[in-house]
Amino acid sequence: MTDLAYLGIVDAADLIRSRKLSPVEYVTALLDRTGRLDSRYHAFIGLTPDLALAAARQAEQDIAGGNWRGPLHGIPTGLKDIIDCAGVPTTAHSKVLAQNVATKDAAVTQRLKSAGAILMGKLATHEFAIGGPSFDLPWPPAVNPWGGNHFPGGSSSGCGVALAAGMLPAALGTDTGGSVRNPASMCGITGMKPTYGRVSRRGVFPLAYSLDHVGPMTRTVRDNALLLQALAGHDPDDPGSADVPVPQFAADLERGVKGLKLGLVRHFYAEDMQAHPEQAQAIDRAAELLRGLGAEVREIRLAPLQDYATCTRIIIRCEAFAIHRRWLAERPDDYGHLARQRILDGAAVSAADYIDAQRLRGRLTRRTLETFAGLDAALTASSLDPTCRIDDTDACARLYPRQARQPFNVTGQPAMAIPAGFTKDDLPLSLQLIGHPWQEAMLYRIARAYERATGWTERRPPDVSTC
Amino acid sequence: MATNDDILLQTAATVGLMRLNAAHLEQLKRALESARELGDKLPKDLHYSEEIAVTFRLSPAGGSKP
Repeated sequence: MTDLAYLGIVDAADLIRSRKLSPVEYVTALLDRTGRLDSRYHAFIGLTPDLALAAARQAEQDIAGGNWRGPLHGIPTGLKDIIDCAGVPTTAHSKVLAQNVATKDAAVTQRLKSAGAILMGKLATHEFAIGGPSFDLPWPPAVNPWGGNHFPGGSSSGCGVALAAGMLPAALGTDTGGSVRNPASMCGITGMKPTYGRVSRRGVFPLAYSLDHVGPMTRTVRDNALLLQALAGHDPDDPGSADVPVPQFAADLERGVKGLKLGLVRHFYAEDMQAHPEQAQAIDRAAELLRGLGAEVREIRLAPLQDYATCTRIIIRCEAFAIHRRWLAERPDDYGHLARQRILDGAAVSAADYIDAQRLRGRLTRRTLETFAGLDAALTASSLDPTCRIDDTDACARLYPRQARQPFNVTGQPAMAIPAGFTKDDLPLSLQLIGHPWQEAMLYRIARAYERATGWTERRPPDVSTC
Repeated sequence: MATNDDILLQTAATVGLMRLNAAHLEQLKRALESARELGDKLPKDLHYSEEIAVTFRLSPAGGSKP
């Protein structure tokens, strides 16, 4: 019998199209599984079983009638709970929005529905995508299926957990300072932050307008390319959306890396911050493996990691405070401790420093792209450490800034995190790939070559794989 | 003479936050310290010619949004 829990989009689409798998059967199986597992992992803020089953029945009828819409038709998906779906609550995992019901679909929700995807529910996040893990909110934080009781990363925590636990094959997260790639890294799945402007943010609760991205999260590289295909495209109602052509993201997936020129940003994890030895070794091994597959890999130097971090922190703080200041003024107690701290942080930054941070952003972007000239892509660490116990508040706080993701929110380049092995304690390690603007397809090509050679995306958390 | 708490309350009021309790004000204090540290880390040679933040663009004729 097919393992529906860990069926990927590609395989599920083949079965659904050939009518060997009913979308109703698929949705029912994943709802049952989620019902069994989610009291422990808290991936979902809310399931939408009635909507999901109605959409599954419709998909089944459409496909039986010869109207197959494409590889997402009948595929269960989840949305980070800052992404609107009409008629469904968008809580942002916060008491502030506990009663908020979306009246319209976000642009990405519309696109998923048009492609025939089925919404299974809304997924846990850090409060307003900024503060977590928190235990003082109306819903508990999501827990990683890897490890005993571990932090899944954030802020798209529920997305990472649902994928790793086999509750969903696809989810949408958001990434302002690394929030797609962080849970992807901690949960051993695949997460893409596309180029800034590639995917519309209309209908997504903002964290920081000038750094926010929506990104696809899946278990495999090919699935991720398929999901991005459905999401990408210009939206005149998102001021940051770019009117650029959308290529076939999976077109070169199996071309391999022979002859590609890749930069290795080693100073991020070996000098600017010292990565955990097992994480550093995983990146070095990945560079060797890609060399062995025929890529030319050479070390490159970008600005120090701390410069990008300063820039990102100032911009996020100021833009988040501008978004929240009225609620914060009226009902400060409705925020959890961590989110309130991070939003208050923006109250204290001067306008001049914010503008200087934007100037720094321009400078860092220009210099980064100059260094990328002549390269096809680059690789470095995503997280600098494996995950830690979620109830160890100090360890979680230490973990959060130890990352190399923010640079590419600053520059807007596409960047993806993929599994790169496991620690001796069986916790996921990860690799980050970074491309030129609009060249997500190149990242998928490299990621697929690495995935094919290593097989890391096949590994399942032992506690849930037999459930 | 103004105490530290008075100064914090005044700072909070300046940014429109009139309902912060003692614990919230302690968080604001940390925010002020952190903002100072972050600001000190910014390069000192950033020039207005590098401006990207507040670029106002008019939409083409007939467009409805700036």
